[in-house]
Amino acid sequence: MSDSPVLSVTLLGAGQEVGRSCCVLQYRGITVVCDAGVHPAYSGMASLPFIDELDWSTVDAILITHFHLDHAASLTYIMEKTNFKSGKGKVYMTHPTKAVYKFLMQDFARMSAASTDPLFTPLDLSLSFSAIIPISVHQQITPSPGLSFTPYHAGHVLGACMFLIDIAGLKILYTGDYSREEDRHLVKAELPPVRPDVLIVESTYGVQSLGSREEKELRFTGLVHSIIKRGGHVLLPVFALGRAQELLLILEEHWKKHPELHNVPVYYASSLARKCMAVYQTYIHTMNSNIRSKFAQRENPFVFKHISHLPLTRGWERKISEGPPCVVLASPGVLQNGPSRELLELWAPDSRNGLIITGYSVEGTLARDIVNEPAEIISLKGNTIPLRMSVDEISFSAHVDYSQNSAYIEMVKAQHVVLVHGEQSAMGRLRAAMQHRYKERDEDVKIHTPRNLETLKLSFRGERVAKAIGS
Amino acid sequence: MSSFVYYKFKSQKDESRVAFDGTGISVADLKREIIQAKELGKATDFDLLILDPATDEEYDDSHIVPRSASVVAKRVPPSRPGKGKAAMYVTKVGRPESNGTPPLPPKERPNLLGQNTWSRNPGPSTKRYDSKDTGQEAQ
Ligand SMILES: [Zn+2]
Ligand SMILES: [Zn+2]
Repeated sequence: MSDSPVLSVTLLGAGQEVGRSCCVLQYRGITVVCDAGVHPAYSGMASLPFIDELDWSTVDAILITHFHLDHAASLTYIMEKTNFKSGKGKVYMTHPTKAVYKFLMQDFARMSAASTDPLFTPLDLSLSFSAIIPISVHQQITPSPGLSFTPYHAGHVLGACMFLIDIAGLKILYTGDYSREEDRHLVKAELPPVRPDVLIVESTYGVQSLGSREEKELRFTGLVHSIIKRGGHVLLPVFALGRAQELLLILEEHWKKHPELHNVPVYYASSLARKCMAVYQTYIHTMNSNIRSKFAQRENPFVFKHISHLPLTRGWERKISEGPPCVVLASPGVLQNGPSRELLELWAPDSRNGLIITGYSVEGTLARDIVNEPAEIISLKGNTIPLRMSVDEISFSAHVDYSQNSAYIEMVKAQHVVLVHGEQSAMGRLRAAMQHRYKERDEDVKIHTPRNLETLKLSFRGERVAKAIGS
Repeated sequence: MSSFVYYKFKSQKDESRVAFDGTGISVADLKREIIQAKELGKATDFDLLILDPATDEEYDDSHIVPRSASVVAKRVPPSRPGKGKAAMYVTKVGRPESNGTPPLPPKERPNLLGQNTWSRNPGPSTKRYDSKDTGQEAQ
């Protein structure tokens, strides 16, 4: 019976894994889907969430938290290749998310066009794109009777938000990826003013502690500086958008302070990042006071003096490899293929060079395996390449760590906490740690860690139901 | 290749088809064709089910789907995490197709999981199903 007062939470992806976030909420005949991502370790249909499980024509709303591929990249497929459009479902994302999403998905469509069976065409993309409703943070939206939601800032990347969803009186907070630390350009995640019944929260870093921002930045700039000094090239594999812009701000500032570096070029090897720089410049008003005050003084922080775009013309990899020391930000961050992989293969044998992994490395990708510093790597062509360049990991991925996440979970005060977007082990440790904290204080808070398609059914006390009926 | 069986993934709007010779195709062969067509062979994290479109009941691998019939395909999480069975269907060797040519190994693609194989720690997850492993000479 679809109209029973039980909330079901079904993860089509990101259940005990990081990647292809897709969370289905069903309550009193209303269906809301939060995020529609792909899994970065796979391609094509294998990268999709387990979408066969849902009749997409019954969906009332799809809410996308941010533009990262693991949260947004299966949206086009869902809108165009399933029966979603034969229903009444609406799709929402914030204005900056939509602006970046457009460029990202054009790039994604171009990349997958090489496949014999691409997930969707550029035409599918433009057909679905116009149907996405752009929204503003703090704007309350009512997609259909009995359903409303409000986006709040989530930090993390430009445009990222969490959603406070109200389904027939039941309140659910879905965080998406979030960060509680203000960085160089973004505000930190907010605490919504109402106490939700259910909190669905990311658990990427489990019980890990990431250290302070200042400490990480010092380590990072120090490392970059020392690789340059020993005559090496610095490779920073990054996803083209989001955290890359924060790294550019950090490097720009460091170069400004160190005139001896002014003859050392810093490149970003991504036409996608170049295209999206305009979006960053447009949405400065959504960023933090640091950026806004610079802008008010007629300085545009996203116009860089020491950083330049590197056009990927024929033979570019060899050209810069044979040249003097430099720093290159290249995508993808997972090192599976593309410019970052090509540079890695060229630079790996030289011990003067250095690789710095700055993002969260998803299981099953080269970025994840290379931090164990194997003696050799296998090139895309199948050759063995000795790995002599230095490999370091400094996380700028703007997810909450254990202390931030646990503090936030406690402040939200939901009766049920559902952990998503974390590997099984990380999630298990976080769950155990949180259960311990609540037990010590004798509080009854349930922590859930459902696997993909393992539907969680939550029922609420009588007064909640009574209230829901009256609303 | 005179016969067809039609399939669509449960969430899909449109049907695709698989061509073969004869009056029917086994579910195991059908799975292999779908896995190859959709380049699903390297993913280790799902199982592929073939369902009766009318009843949603699962066909087992030996079931023969008669030509011109329609079936429903469905991706589900593997019964054991990380131990999806998709690769199993495309690495079955030594079973020449009815037209005499051996099944083609899935095309090597640069952005798939199997690429990051390490010479130092070869584990089950790094097994590659490329032309070297499923060589055409294999019987
Ligand atoms: Zn993200
Ligand atoms: Zn994510």
